[in-house]
Amino acid sequence: MKARHTGIPRAGKGREQRRPSRTLFLFIAVLLSAAGALFWQGERGQAQEPDQHASIIGLIYDGQNQPVKDAHVIWRLSPEGETLLDTTTQADGIFSLTLPETIAIEEKPAGGTAAVLPLDNVLGDTMTLYIERAHFQTKTVPISGENVKVLKDGGTLLLPNIVLERRISPAFWIATAIFIIVLILIATGALHNTLAALLGVSLLYLVSYLGSPIFEGLFIFDFPTSLSYIDWNVIFLIMGMMIVIAVVERTGIFQWMAFFAYRISGGRIFILLPVLMLITGVASAFLDNVTTMLLMTPISIQIALAMGINPLALLIPEVMASNIVGISTLIGTPTNIMIGSYAGLSFNDFLANLTPGVLLAFTGLVIYTQIIYRKDLAAAHQPSGVLMAQLAERGKITEPENLKKAGWIGLGMLLLFMFGEHVHLLPAVTAIMGATALMVWIRPNIDEMIEAVDWTTLVFFMSLFIVVGAVQEVGMISLIAETIGKLVGDNLALAMLTVIWVSAILSTVIANIPFTAAMLPVVGYLTATIPGAQSNALFYCLSVGSAMGGNGSLIGASANMVTAGISERAGYKVSYMYFLKKGFPALLITVTLASIWLLIRFL
Amino acid sequence: MSGIVCAVRGGPDSQPTIQKSIALAEETGQTIYFLYVVNLDFLSHTSTSRIKVVAQEMHQMGEFILLSAQAQATDKGVHAACVVRQGNVSAEIIELCRSLKADYVILGRPRGEDETADVFTHDRLNQFARHIEQESGAKVVFAREPM
Repeated sequence: MKARHTGIPRAGKGREQRRPSRTLFLFIAVLLSAAGALFWQGERGQAQEPDQHASIIGLIYDGQNQPVKDAHVIWRLSPEGETLLDTTTQADGIFSLTLPETIAIEEKPAGGTAAVLPLDNVLGDTMTLYIERAHFQTKTVPISGENVKVLKDGGTLLLPNIVLERRISPAFWIATAIFIIVLILIATGALHNTLAALLGVSLLYLVSYLGSPIFEGLFIFDFPTSLSYIDWNVIFLIMGMMIVIAVVERTGIFQWMAFFAYRISGGRIFILLPVLMLITGVASAFLDNVTTMLLMTPISIQIALAMGINPLALLIPEVMASNIVGISTLIGTPTNIMIGSYAGLSFNDFLANLTPGVLLAFTGLVIYTQIIYRKDLAAAHQPSGVLMAQLAERGKITEPENLKKAGWIGLGMLLLFMFGEHVHLLPAVTAIMGATALMVWIRPNIDEMIEAVDWTTLVFFMSLFIVVGAVQEVGMISLIAETIGKLVGDNLALAMLTVIWVSAILSTVIANIPFTAAMLPVVGYLTATIPGAQSNALFYCLSVGSAMGGNGSLIGASANMVTAGISERAGYKVSYMYFLKKGFPALLITVTLASIWLLIRFL
Repeated sequence: MSGIVCAVRGGPDSQPTIQKSIALAEETGQTIYFLYVVNLDFLSHTSTSRIKVVAQEMHQMGEFILLSAQAQATDKGVHAACVVRQGNVSAEIIELCRSLKADYVILGRPRGEDETADVFTHDRLNQFARHIEQESGAKVVFAREPM
């Protein structure tokens, strides 16, 4: 056996080989002893110096009952006076202000000189805290004499929850305007999605950093705060899945599946169409819709041409099925990934709560497409020998070994997605582990794999999170949430129908990813305030509306656009009006069916 | 070497072009070279890194589309070959004509009412035809005469 396989140095033999192990053992023993000594000292240290400092603990919320992070809690002797102590709230809105035994002050109330005074001397009969936070009104929190006495005795004071009121500043309007500009640029295609979002981010920084020194009201957020809005779970999950898809797509599995659909249907078009739709839908539930359609469209066109039918009779139903069935899993659509990460919904949650509704909608879609394309489908005939041979050649698995390995890894990932939540395993971690395992096992060209990661999409997501974070930061999202909250009141059914249908209709004209990103905090607010919505019903409504709404128009989903693009390259143009005529009724049917399921499930 | 270059996009609008090239081949006895150009411009507004795989898929789709055209020519006793290339449509037509020293290029004309940046639009067709004739030396024949 070669040394590199065993980890033993080649030159080593017999006793010499055991020497490194002994040294290693000693080294570990020394490390453990040192760690033990440090731990013991730490324990003793804590025991010798008990913390007897007075402290004030509190929790800060905004008007929507959401914790406010990074709020400054300041102790001053007067509103404009010197800051004696301050702290900031954590992500959960909690702050803890510890009062030391002595306080250094530069300007004494009586106009004396700087000095270090005992806490008791600085504390008067009462005390006032000032809560300051950008985009909120400054809040004054008086502390009564009785509570001040508790602090003087070294006690801990727990304040009642503090609510901050929003402040509408010029930054509010600027951030909102930038967000709308980005949406318009994306919707019109005037700029590439990623470039539009990056432009938005740059404008936000420009206003915040160059505008705020001139006028304070222009401050939106600083760089670290903007980064805190990026959902890294989403980024890493998408990245991991991109690598997995890059391996799978080269194996020829899509082409094989399409030809398999033809074979099992025996060339009977009325069976072939639903089977193709089902295959496309299931593939979309585990891979992203755009990739699925990029790979299914060319082979579907060939099947249609071989059978003498209009390829659109297969393609339009397929892409609609892709948009619908894709939402049955956490990883099926980018919107689901975002919703799952924001609301803490697991793979199983989506599967259990959405799959029945998706199946219902899918059944409705199958019936609908069979009706609208009945004339086209009726023209089908058996392919000629030459074309059939070509189809069969195309329907072969090109990398069977890699497909087998990808299958095993995929199965492992599926199990981790399903059961990993019991050990708090995030889906992003599973995706990254799966992608790495696949690359280690298959050993593809690493450069090709890195190229396969769609960095423009990842940058788009990161930029979009920042742009949406800006409107969240300035309070625009809160305002929308509050308005919707007032409209729907405590009526969960009304809220569910509002979220589903507003999302569905708006998704036909607005790209559903930025729309979903903006709606998440709104739905989060409604979930927290409407009785019964704590089941996360509204998040599932958002998932259904934003994805199925994509069927309403050509620009409603990226998968529609790529399908139309390839179809046009084969001589079959899909115009905006053509898609609208076929797609909008499909939207009405499928969203209605899914709504019925969600109402039954959650009411 | 000589021949007839026939750029095919697929779909019903390509049929007059294919039929015209077959008729011309029957008259002249020349070989038809059916050309399909893979063009991925439609991906420019979609974030995808799948360019290589998609190009491969569309290459195969192009071969399949041309196979139907070739079958029609063969049925009429005309010899036809299939060529699939990737890139700009006009540049690839000129390049193929030059390499084959083709005598004729058959061009179709779109039926659609809306115009795109494609070379086969109403306004650009005559201009494009002159450009091809100058660059390649091949004579341009329209499947349907431009308006």
